[in-house]
Amino acid sequence: MIIRLGLSGAVMVKEVNIRAILIQGMSVLLLCTIIELGAGFALERMEEHIIELIPGLIVMVPPLLDLRGNINGALASRLGTALHTGVIEPRLALTAELKANIVSSLILSFIASATIGLLSYAICILTGAETIGVLSLVTIALIAGFTSGLILATFTVFVAVISYVKGLDPDNITSPVMATIGDFVTVVCIFLAVLFVR
Amino acid sequence: MTVYSVRRIVLESYPILPACALISLFAGYLLNINVEKIEKVPLILMMVPPINGIGGNIGSILGARLASALHMGTVEPRLRGQRVLRGNIRASVLMSIGIFLIISASFFFIACVRGTAPVDSIRLMFAFFIAGIMLVPVIVLSTVALAFISFARGLDPDNVVIPVVTSIIDVSGVTCLLIAIKIVGV
Repeated sequence: MIIRLGLSGAVMVKEVNIRAILIQGMSVLLLCTIIELGAGFALERMEEHIIELIPGLIVMVPPLLDLRGNINGALASRLGTALHTGVIEPRLALTAELKANIVSSLILSFIASATIGLLSYAICILTGAETIGVLSLVTIALIAGFTSGLILATFTVFVAVISYVKGLDPDNITSPVMATIGDFVTVVCIFLAVLFVR
Repeated sequence: MTVYSVRRIVLESYPILPACALISLFAGYLLNINVEKIEKVPLILMMVPPINGIGGNIGSILGARLASALHMGTVEPRLRGQRVLRGNIRASVLMSIGIFLIISASFFFIACVRGTAPVDSIRLMFAFFIAGIMLVPVIVLSTVALAFISFARGLDPDNVVIPVVTSIIDVSGVTCLLIAIKIVGV
């Protein structure tokens, strides 16, 4: 967003640079969609493979992926605002503001993943679907949620800060990029958590 | 005292996150109960992830931009006389048309390569494009409404808009695709 001074110099005229939004947004969207289309098949195979490993995961994997995307999307959105308003400076230093943003994302990953584990168990019991014990299911959710949260929060900070430094608007870049990377990282983390619990 | 408090972010986000995950689970269910109808049409299952993905991303970009603009004061939570809001919406609409055009065209080529008759390939292309265009008002309206309502209620739109909008789009993307198949008659 560009804020230009009006000709008189006294009146602030706020303009939106539609061209810049379009160029940045379209390139990112195109790249993300191509990656999703190309690698979507591999991702689906991985998901199917994991789901078959343990009963109950078929219910839990989609909401865990969704949760991951949402926690990261919100972090990306806050970082965009923080960089624009100057609350967070565009350098890779762990200031108090940045720490508050990351820590809250990690806490959310932890408690919301546990909630998803419990809810998935409840759904399996209610619908009569086969599932492993509630403790194992919640443990998988917690390990997968927390590890993927840690990895992706770090990535999110990098993408937001670097795009801002490069003169791009992090609001256009961060959340689409992280949505594309996020599913892959999360599926791998769920897989590792399953191996750990088994 | 920092601007961002861990307590506030957690308290604002936690109630909506499991709810959003359940809405997306419902979208998956909607897809599952229609899967027989869908599987008859080649490529349609392949169109679900990109329509949800693109829709979610356009909503996320607009949501993130509006949240920044509301925090900076360049947009106020009302509809009249908002130049920056209009510019942002226009950019989102143009971006949607452009990206849905390109991806529709690629579906035409994918269908042709897979041996679908050219007439049917064109129908598939139109199905994806129509579904995408139907989704645009859903994206724009829900994003603007959520950003304004959350901000006006003292919530941080950064915490609210993206999770809720992507969940709404997960449900409406599949719905638009189903309607588009009917319209085009694939």
